[in-house]
Amino acid sequence: MSSTNKSISEKTTELSKLITWFDSEEFSLEEAIDKFKQAEKLAASIELDLSSLKNEIQIVKQRFDSEN
Amino acid sequence: MEKPQIQPIFSVSDFIAVVNQTLEYAYPSVSIEGEVASFKVSQGKFVFFDIKDKGGSVGCFMSVWQLRVPIEDGMKVIVSAMPKLTQWGKFSLTVKTVRPSGEGALKKSFELLKAKLDTEGLFAPERKRQLPTLPKHIAIISSTQSAGYADFIKILNDRWGGIKVDVAHVQVQGEIAPDQMIKAIDFFNQQELLPEVIVIIRGGGSADDLAAFNDELLVRAIAGSRIPTLVGVGHETDESLCDLVADVRAATPSNAAQILVPDKNEIIRSVRVQVGSLLPRILQIIDQQKIAVSGLLISAIDSVDRAIDDQTMRVSNLKNVLSQLDPNKVLARGYALVRGVKRIGSVIEIETTNNIMKAEVKNVINK
Repeated sequence: MSSTNKSISEKTTELSKLITWFDSEEFSLEEAIDKFKQAEKLAASIELDLSSLKNEIQIVKQRFDSEN
Repeated sequence: MEKPQIQPIFSVSDFIAVVNQTLEYAYPSVSIEGEVASFKVSQGKFVFFDIKDKGGSVGCFMSVWQLRVPIEDGMKVIVSAMPKLTQWGKFSLTVKTVRPSGEGALKKSFELLKAKLDTEGLFAPERKRQLPTLPKHIAIISSTQSAGYADFIKILNDRWGGIKVDVAHVQVQGEIAPDQMIKAIDFFNQQELLPEVIVIIRGGGSADDLAAFNDELLVRAIAGSRIPTLVGVGHETDESLCDLVADVRAATPSNAAQILVPDKNEIIRSVRVQVGSLLPRILQIIDQQKIAVSGLLISAIDSVDRAIDDQTMRVSNLKNVLSQLDPNKVLARGYALVRGVKRIGSVIEIETTNNIMKAEVKNVINK
């Protein structure tokens, strides 16, 4: 995971909000570049998280044959 | 001299016991294939039928709870049983398991059980639960040596990460497979931290190979699971009762992984495309604003031009009006300007365009 504690889901939601802002009535050119930089940073963080996460596979010790 | 051999004399009960001991030693368990005849259930507890072929017939007995698949007269089955001589001297088979044999019998048994469970509402759409969107903890019931399990894990790892995957290694084929899978379902349902979904998977095989997934008790265990279930058994065309009762059915083990988690590579591509489209959008908005400002400037200049034109026109009109008031113009139209006192005998001055004349007033009449 990247340095922040936010989950991928939280970051994706945040990125969606940022992207929606560009189409909203709140859009202003003065803020656009800052918001764009934030979006770029979030996208890079999401990509890093997704690429580095590994599944933790564990075979349970319990036996399921008839004797147990 | 040879001593005469003494033959033992049994009581009837002892003889039956000895025969049963001998049978148990010689045939602790036998599998017999034949056709079911005279099938009946007594008192809702005991099952009696004969298993026969062209050359013979043997009576069979078992408990109702041991009958895991429906059978009926004429169906070809394989029984796993222990031969026994009853206290009335009748030879019979005490059946442990019975399973349909051959494609026709398997299909018939499948249809009978499907109809029964369908009547109970086990396959009803309203029973189906949704799977979690992004599970963090899942349970898998499969044989870890099977190709289906390997396919599932490969696709799962390719598509998503960060999931805790608990795997119950069980038989997914044969007589003991249903019980092992039932135990695994129970095991996961009894965990303190429940997995968010149970995935039951097995690769393709013959109808007989997949018969375990048409076991009534296994189907009921899946229906009774507190944890939502995803079943991916066999190939796309295979349909098992476990598929029908599961909350979500996957066509194959690989498809189960595709259903369970999104593809991170697609998400990465989508994120890149979305963010990549922002800068051109900003530049487009800047261009639009430039055009808007330019339009406003042109409009302002037009307004000033119009105001100047208006004022010029107004001045021109006033000049025209003023020119009409010029006395020389009136004189040019033939009028004359008279100056002096209007009294008989006084001398007045008359001015025309070209002349100035003096005249005497001869008479004054009021109009």
